[in-house]
Amino acid sequence: MRRRSFLRAAAGAVVLSAAPGVAFGAVRPGRRVYVVVLDGLRPDEVGPSLTPHLVALQGEGTYFPRARSLPVMETIPNHVMMMTGVRPDRTGVPANSVYDRLQGAVRTMDRASDLRFPSVLERLPALGSRTGTVLSKEYLYGVFGTRASYRWEPAPVLPVTGHAPDVFTSQALRAMVDSADPDLVFVNFGDCDRVGHSDVTGSVARSVAVRSADAQLGSFVTHLRETGRWERSVLVVLADHSMDWSLPTALISLQPVLDADPVLRGNVVIAQNGGADLLYWTGSEADRPLAVARMRSVVEAVEGVLSVHEPAWLRLGPEAGDLVAYCRAGWRFSDPKPWSNPIPGNHGHPATSPIPFLIAGGDPVVRKGVVSSAAASTIDVAPTVGALFGLPSPHGDYDGTVRREAIT
Amino acid sequence: MLWTRVTPTSDAVPGSGRGPSVTVGYEVAEDAVFKRVVRRGSATTGPAHDHTVKVDATGLRAGRTYFYRFTFDGHRSPVGRTKTAPTGSVSQLRFGVVSCSNYQAGHFAAYQHLAERGDLDAVVHLGDYLYEYGPGEYGAFRAHQPAREVTTLAEYRMRHGQYKTDPQLQQLHAAYPWIITWDDHETANDAWSGGAENHTEGAEGTWVSRRAAALRAYHEWMPIRFGAGDTIYRRLRFGSLASLSMLDLRSYRAKQGTPGSLTGPDQMAFLRESLLDSDVQWKLVGNPVMFSPLLVPPLPLAVGTALASLTGQSPDGVVLNNDQWDGYSADRRALISLLADNGVRDTVFLTGDIHTSWAFEVPVDAGTYPLSRTVATELVVPSVTSDNIDDLTRTPPRTSSVAVETALMGLNRHLKWAELDSHGYAVLDVRPAEVRMSWYFLADRQRADSPAALAKSVVVPAGTQSIR
Ligand SMILES: [Zn+2]
Repeated sequence: MRRRSFLRAAAGAVVLSAAPGVAFGAVRPGRRVYVVVLDGLRPDEVGPSLTPHLVALQGEGTYFPRARSLPVMETIPNHVMMMTGVRPDRTGVPANSVYDRLQGAVRTMDRASDLRFPSVLERLPALGSRTGTVLSKEYLYGVFGTRASYRWEPAPVLPVTGHAPDVFTSQALRAMVDSADPDLVFVNFGDCDRVGHSDVTGSVARSVAVRSADAQLGSFVTHLRETGRWERSVLVVLADHSMDWSLPTALISLQPVLDADPVLRGNVVIAQNGGADLLYWTGSEADRPLAVARMRSVVEAVEGVLSVHEPAWLRLGPEAGDLVAYCRAGWRFSDPKPWSNPIPGNHGHPATSPIPFLIAGGDPVVRKGVVSSAAASTIDVAPTVGALFGLPSPHGDYDGTVRREAIT
Repeated sequence: MLWTRVTPTSDAVPGSGRGPSVTVGYEVAEDAVFKRVVRRGSATTGPAHDHTVKVDATGLRAGRTYFYRFTFDGHRSPVGRTKTAPTGSVSQLRFGVVSCSNYQAGHFAAYQHLAERGDLDAVVHLGDYLYEYGPGEYGAFRAHQPAREVTTLAEYRMRHGQYKTDPQLQQLHAAYPWIITWDDHETANDAWSGGAENHTEGAEGTWVSRRAAALRAYHEWMPIRFGAGDTIYRRLRFGSLASLSMLDLRSYRAKQGTPGSLTGPDQMAFLRESLLDSDVQWKLVGNPVMFSPLLVPPLPLAVGTALASLTGQSPDGVVLNNDQWDGYSADRRALISLLADNGVRDTVFLTGDIHTSWAFEVPVDAGTYPLSRTVATELVVPSVTSDNIDDLTRTPPRTSSVAVETALMGLNRHLKWAELDSHGYAVLDVRPAEVRMSWYFLADRQRADSPAALAKSVVVPAGTQSIR
């Protein structure tokens, strides 16, 4: 078995790894596509004061003001949808946090084996292109595993947030482009989201994080221009979900409510995902239909709950359990205990589905200065990237749509 | 919906009930000289319809301009122009937006300006197309016919007939399709489901029969389709760019000042469906009365009384905005929650009734704005002629109102602009990137040839629910 190769770049500060048999340093011609995720950015934060670089890029591309994140409006499933182009009932990744029935525990979907569908990250290299990932969050690095030709392992990672600050991500992105120059790079900037979780709307810290993420985007564009890549670059800039803030008084704990029911007590496990709770019946199979109906009626009556759905209705697979509960705007779930979720900024519920979504770049293929009413979503990224590289559709086709509005 | 009225015999005047039943021909063409006629047909009318003619011209192509005319007894009507709604991907729409056109208060110069610009897709009239009052009641510049407050079918028909004789009104109807709803004055002032402030049960007949008379005349004389159960709330679609939900906020509302609904349950369900429609970007709401919460500062008695006469009752200059959504806060709260909970973007309320010009961001919580989010915007058009603050206080324009506007914006931080003195119209541009509202004000509502000038333009960038 051939060993992976490693490269230290940026005066040794950035370590990149390459898939077996893939070399660094070869400069090749052709189109470059950069999918840049500004994690948790709200579309109403996009404007001249907070995101001047993103606004400037709108003039050099096509903006989709109706764009949405898809259920569950969390980071991992939406990044997975971006790279696969299919819904969670096909990817196997419905949420950040699920109850693993085999393991008997709630866990994060951060294993490469959790993702069951081929992504463009490995489908493109099979045709001779090269791909790279620069993902600031450890769980994203985990779930995409060794799919890309080149990878950056986020470092240094802050202990509480599990992510590398944007300034390091930005440095790694430049190093990736300069030393490996992949055809497709998938980037996640995590500061905006991480600050959003711990802060409140309109606060100085959130504004600073948004401005700084925008500045990283601006400096990346400058780097592409300075290195002569801009004229053959396509940038897809979007968020994976939005953000909603709640006061400690608007907190929903379903576990105590379910445990107060004699039938449900001890037989329901909750995987909490901020604005969405996934509910799993763990009692006997024979009792499941009745128990699920009972779970639904109990949960629907709780103040702050917006709606309760069967996972299949949201195109989530069996990993999402038996029911998905959404909270209303300005609320959050905290399960299993009322103190399990102390953070004011959350997502996962429909209030957090609006996202910014822009396709821009110097490549003549990009339509400039266009605003489209089309309902773009995270799932459209892979088909659009695929179309830009002439990649055939995956088996069973995409669930997403090529955003032809942005392409000449 | 093509409309005209025929006078087959000299005695067949509006409201007379006289004259024979007749058949009127119509033609619809792609060109103004009727070389390419695409529809031809006839319609029958008579005294039962007050000799009004309505033709629902179906089978036309989407997003196209058409010309139409009527023929009767060897005569041809003037040519009207109309336009069908576009489908699919739409890059731009332009509407003229008007409300509150009181014949007795001035000329309809606003209508002429909109007609002459020639570039609209449609005219949206948000209600108070005509007024029920007798001569000298609420304006004495021109006298209403018949010379009394209208309460019967014959009288409502005569009043409609009089409005339709105004040349500027005729010009605007001939220039574009109209998308209309009613407010209160099509029946009587401050109407609710069971009565009206300006209705005296018994002396003016029963409310039920008066309302039925007003509705029937409206149906005959206005280019509108009634739905089942005489509903006029309805939704128009303009491809994926916009929908326009026209509301009826008079027929189902609880009495002002009592707890209850403004919309009624069925219309509320209809509106929820409009706002949650994921196939359309801009959700425009043709909203006869103001949606945004409004706190009114202590005002000099004269100004307070004037403002209150536009918003609700005011025994002592204290303004109660209870004829607007402010008086029905449960309905409003339900809609604001719906928008916030579902992350609905690009909802714009287009509002009339209040005779003055306003631009609001609709906050989730006005008390904590601007820290709390906004869920929609509201753009309020002035009256075509009906009295506003300077008229009511009998002060020169831009004097007493300026301080009031400043005070209102200080107290209501979600209020981005207000102008309480001027009459005119607005032009709404709808594009995927933004909605732009431009207010045009008349120099003098009592001059038929009054010039109009652009006074203010605001932009609602897509996805932001904010006003720039
Ligand atoms: Zn995220």
